[in-house]
Amino acid sequence: MELDTTNWSGEGAFTQTLIDSFQRVEQVARLRVEDMPSSRSDAEYNFISNELFVGFCTRDRAVRARLLGLLPVTRTVTESVMTVTGLERALSELEDVGPPDYADEGMLQYLRTERIVPPYQTRGYKLVELVRVYEAGVRPRRTETDD
Amino acid sequence: MAAVAVVSLVILLPLTVSTRAAVRDITLVTRDMAFYLEDGTVPNPTIRLDAGEEVRFILRNLDSGITHNLAIEGWELETAYLDGDASATLRVHVPKQPGSQTYVCVPHRGMMRGVIEVVAGD
Repeated sequence: MELDTTNWSGEGAFTQTLIDSFQRVEQVARLRVEDMPSSRSDAEYNFISNELFVGFCTRDRAVRARLLGLLPVTRTVTESVMTVTGLERALSELEDVGPPDYADEGMLQYLRTERIVPPYQTRGYKLVELVRVYEAGVRPRRTETDD
Repeated sequence: MAAVAVVSLVILLPLTVSTRAAVRDITLVTRDMAFYLEDGTVPNPTIRLDAGEEVRFILRNLDSGITHNLAIEGWELETAYLDGDASATLRVHVPKQPGSQTYVCVPHRGMMRGVIEVVAGD
């Protein structure tokens, strides 16, 4: 699998888990990981937000058609061997990932929350990680002001 | 008699309209676990209201798959909980005393909270 993390800070343990899991899905050819602009933090919480863009392996398929409605011809169509829905099923079966918190035909979304209490502190802070997975080439679900 | 009623209506109607206070709409959207003003880029912005004015908050949840709401607990006001791509309104009669309140999303109050400042109106 071809992995591009050029635009990722490396923050997000669950994001790393997902990246590792994608390596086990053989239909995934490419993966690009990026920080989302909405990542932020204050004294109470640390919000990590990442986007993953997945490129699936493709296959060629012969399709028969008729040129001008008369001459029989065969065209080659390139299509993905997997969809986001299929990816959801594959990832759901993995113990360290499980089903997404939200899914539709174009996006998978995972939300993970945990409280981090550093040594010698009693209160700690809340770590929230939001990860969205799209098929590569699809516009991410952000409003224009994020871009 | 009917003519008198019509004339009275014509005279009194503009007075009724002109004395009614305008309601200001403020649209807040929730996305990526934060409130934003519509077209805004600052998460959980400070919102300034004039003392005594009437405001209608319009909340739009753009976070697919995440439930949000808007609550101003100091004024005991709260919208319904919204799933993604839904909206709700909250009408507020701003108190005449300047001060500040906190607005939150109840399920995510730790990271979705901002301040409403009530300032003396003109």
